[in-house]
Amino acid sequence: MQLDPRTKLIMVFSLSTLAVFVQDNRLLLLVLIVSVLLVAYFTADFRFVKKARKFIILFLGIAIIQSIFAPEGEVLFKLGDLTLLTAGGLQKGIRVILRMLIIIVSAVIMTGSSAREIVQGLIRWKVPFEIAFMVSLATRFLPILGEEARDVYIAIQLRGIEPEKLPLKQRIKLYSYLLMPVLTGVIVKARELSTSMEMRAFRAYPRRTSYLRLEFKQQDYIVIILSLSFLMVILLLYLLNIW
Amino acid sequence: MMVPLANSGFLELIEVAFSYPGNEFSLQGINQHFQQGEFTAIIGANGTGKTTLGKLLAGIIKPEQGQVLIAGRDSREISLGQVGKLIGYLFQQPDRQLFTPTVREEIGFALEFNGSSPEVIKKKVNDMLDIFSLADLAGAAPYQLSAGEKQRLALAALLVNQPQFLILDEPTTGLDPVRKQKLAEVLKELQGKGIGLVVISHDLSFIRSNADRVLVMAGGGLIAA
Repeated sequence: MQLDPRTKLIMVFSLSTLAVFVQDNRLLLLVLIVSVLLVAYFTADFRFVKKARKFIILFLGIAIIQSIFAPEGEVLFKLGDLTLLTAGGLQKGIRVILRMLIIIVSAVIMTGSSAREIVQGLIRWKVPFEIAFMVSLATRFLPILGEEARDVYIAIQLRGIEPEKLPLKQRIKLYSYLLMPVLTGVIVKARELSTSMEMRAFRAYPRRTSYLRLEFKQQDYIVIILSLSFLMVILLLYLLNIW
Repeated sequence: MMVPLANSGFLELIEVAFSYPGNEFSLQGINQHFQQGEFTAIIGANGTGKTTLGKLLAGIIKPEQGQVLIAGRDSREISLGQVGKLIGYLFQQPDRQLFTPTVREEIGFALEFNGSSPEVIKKKVNDMLDIFSLADLAGAAPYQLSAGEKQRLALAALLVNQPQFLILDEPTTGLDPVRKQKLAEVLKELQGKGIGLVVISHDLSFIRSNADRVLVMAGGGLIAA
């Protein structure tokens, strides 16, 4: 189903708002399941599953840190006098991971729209073109930054360095080298891009015309009503504590 | 030290096939070997897979089918760090392989991490600064250099590691005729020391003057010119 980018933005807004506000793990799990089903229906893009697997280690780390520094509830695992895992810590760890997953999974819904369509959607919401264009630039350049960091890491290894064999101190120093080229790359790109935009008369005229026209269809109205209803129902369930 | 198998090249492609997901481009059934002490040029139109072939040879990407042997070892079984000790790889865009705050540090980077003494690092770095006419820029930030200077710096940072083989992707880009001549002399000297060279380039005059063997990428394959 091809939806208007504004409809998708409302879906993402509803899901991520719930991820931030709701503190109940069962409700958060429900929101996550709904997010996954929506991604399956609208994009069928399941690359996030591979990424989500990495979260298991993060989840355990967060749960242990929470348990050590903010022990709550029943002690689940102790090492001598040190409490390593508590029921409260585990709950908080699960909550953080559920929130992260909802935000990541819901963002996947937007991947079906091009940056240009998203810009046009924001303009139709009266967002100034300059701001909307900045958003599209960010979405355009973020993957490139990741690619650059990966290339630099390859380049470092191709200098005959095996990071896995280095002591921790040297390894941390090595990773610090990834930052500089990415940051300087951002500055250089921003400078070149602004020059290029000026050369093409960006903001020269107060009004812009666009070939791309966005119109809400019946399906968009249905999805928007369902999204906002879902947001309200879950918030009410949580706030009135009737779940 | 790894030694190539008898009667084989330092780098070998055996029935190599590769394609990018979601892209029609593919390399099919490539068989080729590259010897030490030999200057092989790879030419071909844009988008024919020259850079992809270079990355396969350096083990950066792995073949879908077939084998890439680096000094007799399958590229799937050798880490990039181990490859880097044998092969120097010059990226098409050298910006992506320059990552330290100064030119001097860039050249000395690998030596420092591999435990060379400060005296050795200083001597080797100074030698490279002289060879590549970068002495005046020793304290400059690599990202502020011109395209030609970046190219020379990237080469210097590779050569200080004393690789047994070099894969250079468009090494003459941004070089003026004098620097190009200087590069040719450096490569000739390296070749004389038994170092193998694969140079990917569109610079046909440079190739004609320096290469022992020219291969052409076309139609997803590699043919002798």
